[in-house]
Amino acid sequence: MLLPKFEYDEPRSIEEACETLRTFGETVKPLAGGTDLMVNMKKGVVRPSRVLSLKKLKTCNRIEKLDATIRIGACTLVAELIQNQVIADTLPALQAGAKALGSPLIRNLATIGGNICSARPAADLPPALLVYGARVVLHSQQGPRTVLLKDFFKGPGQTVLRGDELLTAIELDRPPANSGAGYLNLGIRKVQDIDIINGAAYLALNPRDGTIEKVRVALGAVAPTPIRASLAEQALQGQKPSQDLFVQAGQAAQQDCTPITDFRGGAAYRKAMTSVLVRRVLETALKQIEK
Amino acid sequence: MSEYDVINSRLSRLDTPDKATGRALFIDDISFSNMLYGAILQSPLPHAGIINIDTSAAEKLPGVKAVITAKDVGTVKYGVSPARYDETLFCQDKVRYVGDEIAAVAAVDQATAQEAVSLIKVDYEELPAVLSVEEALAEGAPQLHAEYPGNYTAQVHQEFGDVKAGFEICDLIKSSTFVNKRQDAAFIEPPGCVAVFDLHGALTLYSSTQVPHYVQRTVAMVTGLPVGKVRVLKPYVGGGFGIKASANANELAACFLSMKTGRPVKMNLSREQVFKLCRARHQFLHKMTTGVKKDGTLVSLEHECYLDGGAYSSFGIATVYYAGSLLGGPYKLQNMKYDGYRVYNNKPPCGAQRGHGGVAARAAWEQQLDMIAEELGMDPFDLRLKNMMQAGDVTCNDLNMSSLGMEECLQTVQDGSEWKKKKGRLPKGKGIGMACGFFVSGAGYPIYRSDTYHCTAIVKLAEDGGLAQVYTASAEIGQGSDTAFGMIAAEALGVPLSDVRVMSGDTDMGVDLGAYSSRQTLMTGHAVKEAAEDVKHQVLEVLSKELSVPVQDMSIKKGRVVFHRQEPDFSELRTRYIKEHRGWTDNPKDEPLTFREASRIAYLARGSIVGTGKYKPHELGGKYKGAAVGTSPAYGCSAQVVEVEVDLETGQIRIEKMTDAHDCGLAINKTSVEGQMEGSLSMGLGEAMFEEVKFDARGRVINADLAEYKIPTAVDMPPIETIVVESNEPNGPFGAKEVGEGAIMPTIPAILNAVYDAVGVRIFELPLTPERIYTAVQDYHERQKAS
Repeated sequence: MLLPKFEYDEPRSIEEACETLRTFGETVKPLAGGTDLMVNMKKGVVRPSRVLSLKKLKTCNRIEKLDATIRIGACTLVAELIQNQVIADTLPALQAGAKALGSPLIRNLATIGGNICSARPAADLPPALLVYGARVVLHSQQGPRTVLLKDFFKGPGQTVLRGDELLTAIELDRPPANSGAGYLNLGIRKVQDIDIINGAAYLALNPRDGTIEKVRVALGAVAPTPIRASLAEQALQGQKPSQDLFVQAGQAAQQDCTPITDFRGGAAYRKAMTSVLVRRVLETALKQIEK
Repeated sequence: MSEYDVINSRLSRLDTPDKATGRALFIDDISFSNMLYGAILQSPLPHAGIINIDTSAAEKLPGVKAVITAKDVGTVKYGVSPARYDETLFCQDKVRYVGDEIAAVAAVDQATAQEAVSLIKVDYEELPAVLSVEEALAEGAPQLHAEYPGNYTAQVHQEFGDVKAGFEICDLIKSSTFVNKRQDAAFIEPPGCVAVFDLHGALTLYSSTQVPHYVQRTVAMVTGLPVGKVRVLKPYVGGGFGIKASANANELAACFLSMKTGRPVKMNLSREQVFKLCRARHQFLHKMTTGVKKDGTLVSLEHECYLDGGAYSSFGIATVYYAGSLLGGPYKLQNMKYDGYRVYNNKPPCGAQRGHGGVAARAAWEQQLDMIAEELGMDPFDLRLKNMMQAGDVTCNDLNMSSLGMEECLQTVQDGSEWKKKKGRLPKGKGIGMACGFFVSGAGYPIYRSDTYHCTAIVKLAEDGGLAQVYTASAEIGQGSDTAFGMIAAEALGVPLSDVRVMSGDTDMGVDLGAYSSRQTLMTGHAVKEAAEDVKHQVLEVLSKELSVPVQDMSIKKGRVVFHRQEPDFSELRTRYIKEHRGWTDNPKDEPLTFREASRIAYLARGSIVGTGKYKPHELGGKYKGAAVGTSPAYGCSAQVVEVEVDLETGQIRIEKMTDAHDCGLAINKTSVEGQMEGSLSMGLGEAMFEEVKFDARGRVINADLAEYKIPTAVDMPPIETIVVESNEPNGPFGAKEVGEGAIMPTIPAILNAVYDAVGVRIFELPLTPERIYTAVQDYHERQKAS
């Protein structure tokens, strides 16, 4: 299978990229790592007449530690998410998600923005980003707008990103000291898998009484998009962490998800695993606080 | 210390430098000027009549040089076994699976060829399709082949001994049903070829194949060219595992396209096409009933098997025989009944894959034997040792175990895995399991009925004796056969491996049936040994005359002539040699007579010194129908222990350790033997744990890539302990026999038995995905609660 013919642009600035997007609309596809796009173009699943390479957008591949936030350029490589000290120190669940994504060869090409924009239900990065309360910065010729990641996904491959917009950065608040987060995934084999289910949890404890002050739980591959497990979160909010509580939260999470049966796995199994995964990932998050 | 100078050691492979540096030529590295690129039109429907094929738009596309259909190439039937030639290169009247070949195009580049294929217009009349064994055998089911009614490719009905009478004296009779899943061999290199039809009317086909000889014959038969006008060469090959062991449509299409255009034509398959066109392991459904006495003595085995065959026979007729015959051993079993059915349906055809026909059967039976051991309160090792055959024993279906290191294999894996410390003492969720297996060391008969030699070999000395060239048409496909033959030639001749060069994989070099059925080390090894001994004898004959020493009083060792009695005065020979090499700085001085000197003298006396060798098996046992499948000059055998940990909450299995012992006769190159063992374990682990080719309701493969078809990664492989057990095989060259396939036999059942030990529930279906384990354990607990 060969790549079809297409026009190729390498804009030097976000403004230039946005202008191309506006001019050519739906016929143009942004190219970051290409680990999805190139495969789908070879298969003929997507047929853009123009490809907009993002590799010359210098401002899009930085990880910046700001006062209260961390800003990750959309073109940051997944491999960089693993190696970067800021990510390792402050967003370990995101690092865990990055480690679970594909193989080293894929991680050397794939980008965080691509993993978000392809909007696959089983993608490895969104659950961790969701529990860190990530926001995505979407640029058009009108300028940037910021959208909560949890409002970004609309369905498999569907997002709120308009045809004239480019995702340029991900912003996350720096987690407070008394917080922790984790990411876990479950597949057929140990690595290089398309997860049957994955998930992340974030816990921030009240330093005075040790109750759960802030909680976010996110799941992948159990709904048309990566989701927040709100019933599980409700079960945890304000409570003191305990094994029993995490079991309850895991059970509650089953009601948050609407998995399907496909050739990768059955709905009943996915649902059952939701409880196990949520409980375990909460334990991971708690362990991190205790560290 | 070994009594040998070259073999039975660990030597670097001859292909290592080229492969490590990227110099090794594989099929896609081969190009010619003026070369065209080919592409194939494949059916999008599982079953349909062809009303019309319109190639006019494709032919008009600029850059297209040829479009061929059944109208152009005829409808010569071919296949693997002449007993079931059931396919034509291109479909004429109907297509039988999604992927069935309809036409091919040659164009100036790949993109044009692909575009041209998309311009061929085919009018189909869709027919009802059958996509499983059950559907294909249902009453009134659509028929695939008029010549093979009932959708049966082949049926086997065999009984050895008296199974029913046997059951009557049994204390325990156990039945179980087992099913594996359709496999893809996932070799690293998709098949490809380049066909070159020259100006003398001869065709040369470069192909990524395991069997240049069979490809040569099939190409000759289908194109109508004489065998002598067809030459097949194989460059380095990135794995085959049985799937490249027959001629394929890609090769035939390239040949026709080159004949039509007069230009070289390259045709490569994509990974997706591999899943459609390449015939790997069948799905087998085994129903087995085994009867034993209370002391564990095996008495009777009743066995029924259904093979989900796909649209054409391919190897299927052999596969269905192997699925039965390979249970004849390694246990003493007097009574065995087998009913096998290989069934057509509208999916891509299946064929042969490592452990041909026997892997799922072995898994089913070894698991059942474990169930029997448990019910009898016997250790699984003891049950097997109790029934184990000895070297020289013959199975009830006439397989002669001329060597059998099975007991030693069992002993070494039991010790190596610390079985006795672990069995029955592991915590919940951890398990240990074992199994045995064996495999042929070369099919006893060619695929086509013939008195042909299975291999011929030539060894030719350079004029100064400094190099012995080995010519064999055998196939190095990554397993290390070139190195093995180099070592065998060097040992037989008495020179170091560095003085031997191996040329292989070319039908111009002789006849060799190729790399399948684990045959080359034993069979080609014999031919190479004979050719090298012939050369040695010729050199010694000349020497005998020159020095007046009887031939039998001399030999060659480590590149020197050894005189068993008194050393004669050979100064005159040395002087002649040195005269022939004036100006050379490395002429021999105060040393024993060298092989190089002797060879030069022999050359001066006789011209080129060329030795030849050949091999075909001696008369093998079995006079019953189907005896040709399973009989072999020798059998390799192995035992394995697998340790697992199962996450009882998720069903995820972690293989913690595998301990494997294999009896390969005398190991030619121990490192290569271990490589084959590890490769077998990895392939078996994949089949047990992850792998399954999946289809949608329209007969299309839905996981035709290596992202969704999951083979083990390096991370999934546990530590492996490989123990090479050496028996002395009387029918093997230097006592050597197979390792390539026998080693996969115990892997799946050892994993099944270990998983049972860990979770307490038997699983009778592969692969052992977390979901399958989880569901089985849940169902078991539900049933326990209900009862």
